[in-house]
Amino acid sequence: MRRVPVREVLRGAARASFHLATGAGLSLVCYVMIGLMLLAATATACVIGAGMLPETVRVLRGLAGFERRRTAAWLGVPVPEKYLPLDQGSLLERVRSAATDPGTHRDLRWLAAQLVYGLTLCYAAMLLWPLGLLVDGVWCGLARRSAVLLPRLTDLADLQARISRLLLLPSPSARLSERVDELAATRAGAVAAHGAELRRIERDLHDGAQAHLVALSMRLGMARRAHERDPAAARSLLDAAQDQAEEALADLRHVVRGIHPPVLTDRGLVGAVRALAAGSGLEVSVVARQLADGPEDGARAPAAIEAAAYFVVAEGLTNAAKHSGAERAEVELRREEKLLRVRVRDEGCGGADESAGTGLLGVRRRVAALDGAVWVTSPPGGPTVVEVELPCVW
Amino acid sequence: MRVVIAEDNALLREGLVLLLGSAGHEVAGVAATGPEVLPLLLEQRPDVAVLDVRLPPGFRDEGLRAALDARRKLPGLPVLVLSQYVEETYAAELLGGGAHGVGYLLKDRVGRVDEFLEALERVATGGTALDPEVVTELMSRGRGGGPLDGLTPREEEVLRLMAEGRDNTTIAQALVITERSVHKHIGNVFAKLGLPPSDSGHRRVLAVLAYLRR
Repeated sequence: MRRVPVREVLRGAARASFHLATGAGLSLVCYVMIGLMLLAATATACVIGAGMLPETVRVLRGLAGFERRRTAAWLGVPVPEKYLPLDQGSLLERVRSAATDPGTHRDLRWLAAQLVYGLTLCYAAMLLWPLGLLVDGVWCGLARRSAVLLPRLTDLADLQARISRLLLLPSPSARLSERVDELAATRAGAVAAHGAELRRIERDLHDGAQAHLVALSMRLGMARRAHERDPAAARSLLDAAQDQAEEALADLRHVVRGIHPPVLTDRGLVGAVRALAAGSGLEVSVVARQLADGPEDGARAPAAIEAAAYFVVAEGLTNAAKHSGAERAEVELRREEKLLRVRVRDEGCGGADESAGTGLLGVRRRVAALDGAVWVTSPPGGPTVVEVELPCVW
Repeated sequence: MRVVIAEDNALLREGLVLLLGSAGHEVAGVAATGPEVLPLLLEQRPDVAVLDVRLPPGFRDEGLRAALDARRKLPGLPVLVLSQYVEETYAAELLGGGAHGVGYLLKDRVGRVDEFLEALERVATGGTALDPEVVTELMSRGRGGGPLDGLTPREEEVLRLMAEGRDNTTIAQALVITERSVHKHIGNVFAKLGLPPSDSGHRRVLAVLAYLRR
């Protein structure tokens, strides 16, 4: 077994002791908090002081939040929180949600427990120190063996953090209901986005191709009437009819590109993005990781995901070419376990203002409709990075 | 001219056969799917092949790939690729092996029968026909402070028509000016863009496109 250097043992023990000591300090605060809670409960029971309850619960949440962050930092895993909102509705409603929130009950259980285990574990640590220094001093210093007692302090701190996590973690059903809320919201968003998309397509077809075809048909009818008595007029009407037909075709092409760019079908996402890069006027490096570079069906993301990724890159490169002043950009497409990650980075001047244009807003809507996430960082002086995660099953 | 057509849509295929026939060309063969194209071209060795980009079975870019394959197997075979939409990357791929006898047009252009037949003949005789939409895309990219902004509107039109692959005579016709002034405008354009003067034909197209694509 590797012998851990004494200095490292002492440093670990010191860190653990600090964690346990703050836990003990917190226990003392909990003692005061319990007093406050009792006061608030009494005041509420007497009706006059009911307004005190939501405010006290708010303080309790702050305290529990502090312990959550401390525990998360020690264990390296997040401790999520889940509460009912306290700032909505009348006083009665606020008192009711403060009193009935499962989050409040969970915090109260922790409050009482923390008072006990926070102090107890800290006392244990205080006992362990002199004993550990003595035993490990002999054991390490004279017998040249690994320390045995001082590393146990880390175990004590771990224990403290685990108990806190267990007590403060929302119940599985609460977490599940949160996820359901989230999914319901994104699904509603997706349905709304889909509806808006259908209306946009309908309007584009109505104003564009349909109108041109009506005009075309009219001109043909007029040309037919003019055919016999005025061949010259018929000819100019036919010319106009052909113009109308061409405009209708151009409109249809535009609408089709907006729905699903044909190049995606032909070349797959990577090929289509390369085509975008070639047409952007910038020097663009395209990196694809774990993605098929071609139109093979098996290895491809669903069409909606590919289309969204394509529009993200198109928007990112358009912005880079138009506003950033950059000459170079990088596009990265990465297939991960349950998502497709798209990253567009340019070495331009940065300072992209999302509220100024509709482009990034469109990207956000499109991505949100697919339950994805968008990050835009663009500090003044650059670089600008647009990163998007699109969840999908491969 | 002997022409081979590859087009999966029966309406358009019959239309093309009718149109070419009425213009006095012989349709030597017709293919409706991607895999049929290459054997047919090798067997018939037409003066020009008219290919749709999307063909069965995959409905992707089989026609384009067939065109590239055919030009590798039969160097110098003139091909005119038609598509429902144009993609600059495809134009670059087609021109990758030289602009000699290459055409890439939107299907819409077939409606302008005279212009379409002129473009087809140009391709068959070793010229180039690039769709105006591709050229517009290329030109819009060169904007913003570059030498393109220094061109007069007339010079810009001349550059546009050169990029489409037209020769001096048809440029003069299209702009209703004399060939002599077309020649003068071309000289100005090349000087302003810093390109070495080039004779007419596909080398000039390549020089112009190379300039626009950089």
